[in-house]
Amino acid sequence: MNAPLDRKAALQGMGDSRLRKEDARFIQGKGNYVDDVKMPGMLHMDIVRSPLAHARIKSINKERALAIPGVIAVLTAEDLKPLKLHWMPTLAGDVAAVLADEKVHFQMQEVAIVIAEDRYIAADAIEAVEIEYEELPVVIDPFKALLPDAPVLREDLAGKTEGAHGKREHHNHIFTWDAGDKEATDLAFKNADVTVQENLLYPRVHPCPLETCGCVASFDPIRGELTTYITSQAPHVVRTVVSMLSGIPESKVRIISPDIGGGFGNKVGIYPGYVCAIVASIVLGRPVKWVEDRIENLSSTAFARDYHMDGELAATADGKIQALRVNVIADHGAFDACADPTKFPAGMFHICSGSYDIPAAHCSVKGVYTNKAPGGVSYRCSFRVTEAVYLVERMVDVLAQKLGMDKAEIRRKNFIKKEQFPYTSAFGFEYDSGDYHTALEQVLDAVDYKALRAEQAAKRADPNSSTLMGIGLVTFTEVVGAGPSKICDILGVGMFDSCEIRIHPTGSAIARMGTITQGQGHQTTYAQIIATELGIASEVIQIEEGDTNTAPYGLGTYGSRSTPVAGAAIALAARKIHAKAKKIAAHLLEVGENDLEWEVDRFKVKGDGEKFKTMTEIAWAAYNQPPAGMEPGLEAVHYYDPPNFTFPFGIYLCVVDIDKGTGETKIRRFYALDDCGTRINPMIIEGQIHGGLTEGFAVAMGQLLSFDEQGNIQGNSLMDYFLPTSVETPHWETDYTVTPSPHHPIGAKGVAESPHVGSIPTFTSAMVDAFAHLGVTHLDMPHTSYRIWKTLKAHGLTK
Amino acid sequence: MQVTLDKNYPIKAPLAACWSILSDVTDLATCMPGAAITEKTDETHYKGSVKVKVGPATAAFAGEIELLGLDAGAYTIKLMGKGSDKGGSSASMELTATLQEGPDGTTNLIGKADVIVNGKFAQFGGRMMTSVSDMILAQFAGNFEIKAMALAPAVSAAPAAGEPAAASAPVAAPAAVTELNGLAIAWMLIKNFFGGLFGKKA
Repeated sequence: MNAPLDRKAALQGMGDSRLRKEDARFIQGKGNYVDDVKMPGMLHMDIVRSPLAHARIKSINKERALAIPGVIAVLTAEDLKPLKLHWMPTLAGDVAAVLADEKVHFQMQEVAIVIAEDRYIAADAIEAVEIEYEELPVVIDPFKALLPDAPVLREDLAGKTEGAHGKREHHNHIFTWDAGDKEATDLAFKNADVTVQENLLYPRVHPCPLETCGCVASFDPIRGELTTYITSQAPHVVRTVVSMLSGIPESKVRIISPDIGGGFGNKVGIYPGYVCAIVASIVLGRPVKWVEDRIENLSSTAFARDYHMDGELAATADGKIQALRVNVIADHGAFDACADPTKFPAGMFHICSGSYDIPAAHCSVKGVYTNKAPGGVSYRCSFRVTEAVYLVERMVDVLAQKLGMDKAEIRRKNFIKKEQFPYTSAFGFEYDSGDYHTALEQVLDAVDYKALRAEQAAKRADPNSSTLMGIGLVTFTEVVGAGPSKICDILGVGMFDSCEIRIHPTGSAIARMGTITQGQGHQTTYAQIIATELGIASEVIQIEEGDTNTAPYGLGTYGSRSTPVAGAAIALAARKIHAKAKKIAAHLLEVGENDLEWEVDRFKVKGDGEKFKTMTEIAWAAYNQPPAGMEPGLEAVHYYDPPNFTFPFGIYLCVVDIDKGTGETKIRRFYALDDCGTRINPMIIEGQIHGGLTEGFAVAMGQLLSFDEQGNIQGNSLMDYFLPTSVETPHWETDYTVTPSPHHPIGAKGVAESPHVGSIPTFTSAMVDAFAHLGVTHLDMPHTSYRIWKTLKAHGLTK
Repeated sequence: MQVTLDKNYPIKAPLAACWSILSDVTDLATCMPGAAITEKTDETHYKGSVKVKVGPATAAFAGEIELLGLDAGAYTIKLMGKGSDKGGSSASMELTATLQEGPDGTTNLIGKADVIVNGKFAQFGGRMMTSVSDMILAQFAGNFEIKAMALAPAVSAAPAAGEPAAASAPVAAPAAVTELNGLAIAWMLIKNFFGGLFGKKA
């Protein structure tokens, strides 16, 4: 064990495929989720929801419900009004009804709550609350919502011409947000040899985490303290908001995110159910539990996407892209409750120039109210990056098709070159690092791209072929790790993150974080960073997250920000400890600091292998014999405000075979190369990529929240909403290159979302490619067998 | 959720008997399984109720029916029905029904209806709506026929020359379906689904 390499391996630091520390409890059913929390005297809450998408509430009669034995209370907006809690602020600068105030704005909106002694009584009692409605005209289509005579959806905003993001032009208009240079872009289009245009609908989908949202609120009337267990990806932000809304000092609010069964953006927002449970607990002085069911989760808590995108590219005749122009109608539903950094109502959508060196670009996003549930969260992606990547990757394909160029060739021609980094895009992002050409060739070689194209040509030429073959290629760049607090904040709180590390006298350690794992494996990977930085074995490093009473303030886990932001905070906190440890080592070894060198887990006197102090020895000394004048102890806190975002990238290739008779699609091959910079735990990265690809497959091939003209949500249960199991999931092949981020302390960029962001357009690219020889340039998702069968039929390929 | 239904049912009863039922809203309502007219508020307005149970959703609709038009010359009736239940579903239907004389003393009942359903029914029953509506209407037509036959027993049996005049026709008629039965509907849906698979027209 004395050879440095052996000692390094024993640490299980960065680069080690250390097994997940979380799994032991999860696979034994010993996880502790919100619904596992049971408290003495705990009451249960259920929610009465609107059956209609748009209606005036004429009357609410609680009598029958209150008459049921075991029902403690029935609350409506009228009851919350004196507390000024019937409406609440959203993350996007709008307000949202906590309980419907005079009007309902979407089907399944929260209208009243019932508090009862047990869950069953609560469920029975919501059926007994009698509500009379007067139906109002429903607006589902965001384009129709903007017509001059469209029904007014938000009467509470009457006369409000100034929104949180500038002027409102119409009663159903929320904001218009622009980025890039419009004049230069329009000019480039005017002078271009070739232009292409395509309308792309990124339909409304839902992250659908396995665990639905819920909380247990417990107010102690004697101490005046509120403790809430909650399914939140951002517990500290919840604490601040709860304190602001309730007036309880932040020091007396404790928010605990226990084990979280998947978030994917769905658990970023503050939902009416949380607010109602907290209010009920404060009013009643007893703990109140609320956990939504699957139908409630799919119908009312945050959806994702719903972007109607109009994309255009201008290029030279030989395929060099000159300009990109994008106009988006964004359906935000009834309240603007998107979870984006405050100054970016369309998130990071302006990453839509992608991996390409495009001289001029302009995008404009118009947010619109409709009678649908609010949301617009980032479903396993950084803010609106999935939409942006889908747009640019689709448009580059459309351009290639128009020019008769190969998909790989047009990308090679337009990539930002390795030597151009750091590269400033037309939208003003400063890309940190990348090497797209090398990665692309690695993928094309691995799958033998030429042979695939030859096989496809042969199939197209053969009239007896029973399948259509499509090849999808996507070369995406993400922007993650929000973010620099000079431009990124949530409700005014800068988007830094934090870490506190304590080394115990015997050399083990605990680190507490402002983030919260929801399956990412933080307890495993964070320890590896400390292991490498401080030479302490991962095995004896505890990672704690999610309890605001113990963890330092942080903005939470979403938008692939944990590694880029909190990961950096860990490294820098560790380096503070490292610096102190060096002083102690010098003192113990009676040499100057400059005479020491670091080796894996110890400081050695230069040139003398026998004289050293290990971190364990230093830890003991830090408490028991520090140098004169030095404060005892060995701990540090670091709040990291990133100087820039990170820009992970990837090259994905997919081969599909579509049955000409039925439209059934087989994913023959999916090859995913990811570059997330420095790799902390390759096994966890691979798991993240498998998960992200599977969710991407779900979105591209089946997920959809659809509505009928009356605003009835169709398919809000798992009978209709597609969640792939291992039966449907294709086989994934993964690969990687490593291009570290130059501005990140350990060079890591974040990985969990790349496979979702990158794979979705890859599937569409492959599906369209299968029909490309018939002149098809785009197919909207989801690519279900039925929809593909209709495309086959339209082209006379099936009866 | 909007469904437009266009139906044509042959009724084994003569035109006059059929019209006497079709033109009387109270009588007509009793043909609808689970439905009843509870009050006639004026010449053209009625209050009524319908009980329906489909899969996980049960609803007791209470609502109003408005007689929009009655054309004895064209044997046509126009109705507008609207209702909601306390559990969060609502429905409306605009119906135009016409009678045409068929062969051998029979009558064709031609109905066109625009049905809009909201709430739980529309969420859970969305993809069964058309099939369920078909079933309800088929049961309705069945009840209608039984009533019409009962009204005109002699007429319905008369054309069969040589046979004894059957005054017993109403006795032979099967009992009318009086409640909209979820299980029966489910069974008919399954039957029709398999019928469709094997190319049979159910």
